Amino acid sequence: MKPTAARICQLILLALFLILFVQTEYRGRDDINAAVNSFFRADPLVLFSYLLAAKSWSWLLFPAALMTVATLALGRFFCGWICPLGTILDLVTSKIRKTAPIRALKGNFKYWLLLPLLSASLFNINLSGLLDPIAILLRALTFLFYPVLGLASREGWVGLYRMIGERRDTLAPAYNLIRDNLLPFRDTLYPLALLSTAILLGIIALERFETRNWCRNICPLGTLLGWLARFSPFSRVPQALCSDCGQCRQLCPTSFDQDVLRKEECILCMECLQGCPHERISFRPALKLKGCGPLLPERRLLLGGMAGGLLLALPIRFRYPEKQSRLLRPPGVRNEDDFLKKCVRCGECMKVCLKNALYPAAYQAGLEGIYTPLLIPRLGYCEYNCTLCGQVCPTGAIPSLPVETKRREVIGKAVFDKNHCLPYARKIDCIVCEEHCPIPEKAIRSREVQVMGLDGRVRTVKEPYVVEEICNGCGICENVCPLETKAGIEVFAVKNRTPIPPSTAGQEESDKKQQNLY
Amino acid sequence: MNRRTFIKATGTAILLAPALIKEALAAREQSLVAVAEGGDYAAITRKAINAVGGMKRFVKLGDVVVVKPNMGWDRSVRFAANTHPLVVRAVVEECLAAGAKKVKVFDNTCNDPRRCYVSSGIEAALKGMKGVECKHIETERFRKVALNGAFLQEWELYDEVLLADVYINVPVAKHHGLSKLTLGLKNIMGIMGGNRGYIHRNLDTALADLNAHVKSHLTVIDATRILTAHGPQGGNIADVRVLNKVIASTDIVAADAYATTLFGMKPADIPVTVAAYKRGLGEMNLDKIRVVRA
Repeated sequence: MKPTAARICQLILLALFLILFVQTEYRGRDDINAAVNSFFRADPLVLFSYLLAAKSWSWLLFPAALMTVATLALGRFFCGWICPLGTILDLVTSKIRKTAPIRALKGNFKYWLLLPLLSASLFNINLSGLLDPIAILLRALTFLFYPVLGLASREGWVGLYRMIGERRDTLAPAYNLIRDNLLPFRDTLYPLALLSTAILLGIIALERFETRNWCRNICPLGTLLGWLARFSPFSRVPQALCSDCGQCRQLCPTSFDQDVLRKEECILCMECLQGCPHERISFRPALKLKGCGPLLPERRLLLGGMAGGLLLALPIRFRYPEKQSRLLRPPGVRNEDDFLKKCVRCGECMKVCLKNALYPAAYQAGLEGIYTPLLIPRLGYCEYNCTLCGQVCPTGAIPSLPVETKRREVIGKAVFDKNHCLPYARKIDCIVCEEHCPIPEKAIRSREVQVMGLDGRVRTVKEPYVVEEICNGCGICENVCPLETKAGIEVFAVKNRTPIPPSTAGQEESDKKQQNLY
Repeated sequence: MNRRTFIKATGTAILLAPALIKEALAAREQSLVAVAEGGDYAAITRKAINAVGGMKRFVKLGDVVVVKPNMGWDRSVRFAANTHPLVVRAVVEECLAAGAKKVKVFDNTCNDPRRCYVSSGIEAALKGMKGVECKHIETERFRKVALNGAFLQEWELYDEVLLADVYINVPVAKHHGLSKLTLGLKNIMGIMGGNRGYIHRNLDTALADLNAHVKSHLTVIDATRILTAHGPQGGNIADVRVLNKVIASTDIVAADAYATTLFGMKPADIPVTVAAYKRGLGEMNLDKIRVVRA
């Protein structure tokens, strides 16, 4: 890679992407100022699918609207200057020897992908995140690469302890520096980790056939941006290859496999401009919209796309009802349908979750809900005072709420399983769930009762019960239940997620001020 | 005295001697509980410690000291769910002044450790102090220890406690759903690893087992404000009572027994205290405890 302006910009933004990715974690403060969601909020594919699905506007996506306008004005620069996945492809492509392009991907394949995706949004299923390049990259990082980095580092550090014991402490400052600034706080494994990575590696493997194969033939974001770029007044002059040179065919990463530059595929990387031996090339605005052509390459695309979207949107809505009882969504999500319209499945909430309670749904939410976040209390619970998932959600599918409001949002309701719960099943004391319940008035309480123990003797045991009206379903009870494997108390999903009433004592209002004293 | 009575008398004496000697020794080392009261929490902490002999009595030059506060919950200071940071800091400062080489402060938290360390105010209170460590628990440091107790045969305990020269227990006094109160004896759960909720099924015995194995050289109970209901986590300021008191004792049972009275209860009401007393870990009878107002 030559250090052209586009290249430098790409590398800076890739670095920024990775820095923001690492920053998307609790680092001692309740608020995250800048998270990797900035990339999604500037992603026109996220914007279009959101607008079509939610049929409403969100200011969170204002940057994506700006990006849309910029693309209309300048062209498809996003792919050549910003997209972190594109940058990764540019970095590796020279190491991969090329065979011939895949014929099946040529033609209008990418439109047959984009249009059904968008029209499925219209039918209330927002699937664009599945093929959004930034989401693909982020999911592979979140679900596989970052946990592997964390696990490997930690295992090494623990191994060192096993070898040299306390003397490891001399190295602690160096390790702590890495741990506090780079590593994930907790070692977590995710479902779908291999699939997520396979998709990313598959995209890289496509470079075997031609450069930027994914970008020019498949990527729905790129296709959308390319379609917008057709209306840009900027164009390359000359439009076609010069008969005496043809150097551009080698320089261009995307479009010059034909003799004429296709505007929707030009990513404005400026390689041709800088590499032209004759300095003939310029990019300049032309008043006439040349090379714009018809709105869509084929008329049947529109109808076919709509039909495809409908086909995509309806049959995949099937869900097994028994899975739904444990389909717990992040706090603040009150309506499943509304959530599916807005969630881009980027994985940020799962990355940031303080207690690693959120995991990508593999089958629990049906095919339509793949990669949407799901709270699994036995693995992690929703921390009472934490609001991070709402803060990083790029579309507001998980609303960003003040902590007082978030505490009252209902995720589900806890229910005792008296066949397992110790005081009921074995007539002995336990009450770990009540101890951990964060609701100030305690949504889990207990009463002393005289019972006959399994040994036949009468004794007093504390039997716990749930006060359903004030249970917010955070899942800490299920998480800490000391029974092995299956818990004696479990959180079940509920349709009615009306927030629990505000705490009677109005106790926490000046929490923050109080903290500053120390 | 004929031969028969002599043999009887000697026999009885031999049988009773161990108990009598123990009684006599116990009487000499009467349990002392110091109570200091005031609005300056650092000052009353120092007063209480000085009244039981001063930190130099426990910490020698070059010692590694573990100070174990309760910082298990993501609650801010005023909710009395965690030990007051000023009390912790004062204890740590006293350790350093007595010549400690290193003071380690930690807790195996119930909520997320990062949030607990921040919200409790303890991490911030200790920030920048030389020779003081306030690290999160590292799970590899838990080591299986044979306790051979009445309930717990073995358990994973934190090796920094096992390796320390001095262990200072600094709980906050608060209500607890199962054990009624959580004080010094229960604070030891913070050095346990594994599935520690398991011990709730026989909490009194398990805590006696643990405290018999890991002795607190000094117990400093933070009663600057106490949580009277909905413990051990609280969250409701109406449940908090400000008492401005700090209690110190070398006898963990005596410290707990006295602290119980602050809640209007008797030591005999708290099964954890009773079990520890019966195990011989300390004195719980208030009339046998010397209470000094520092």
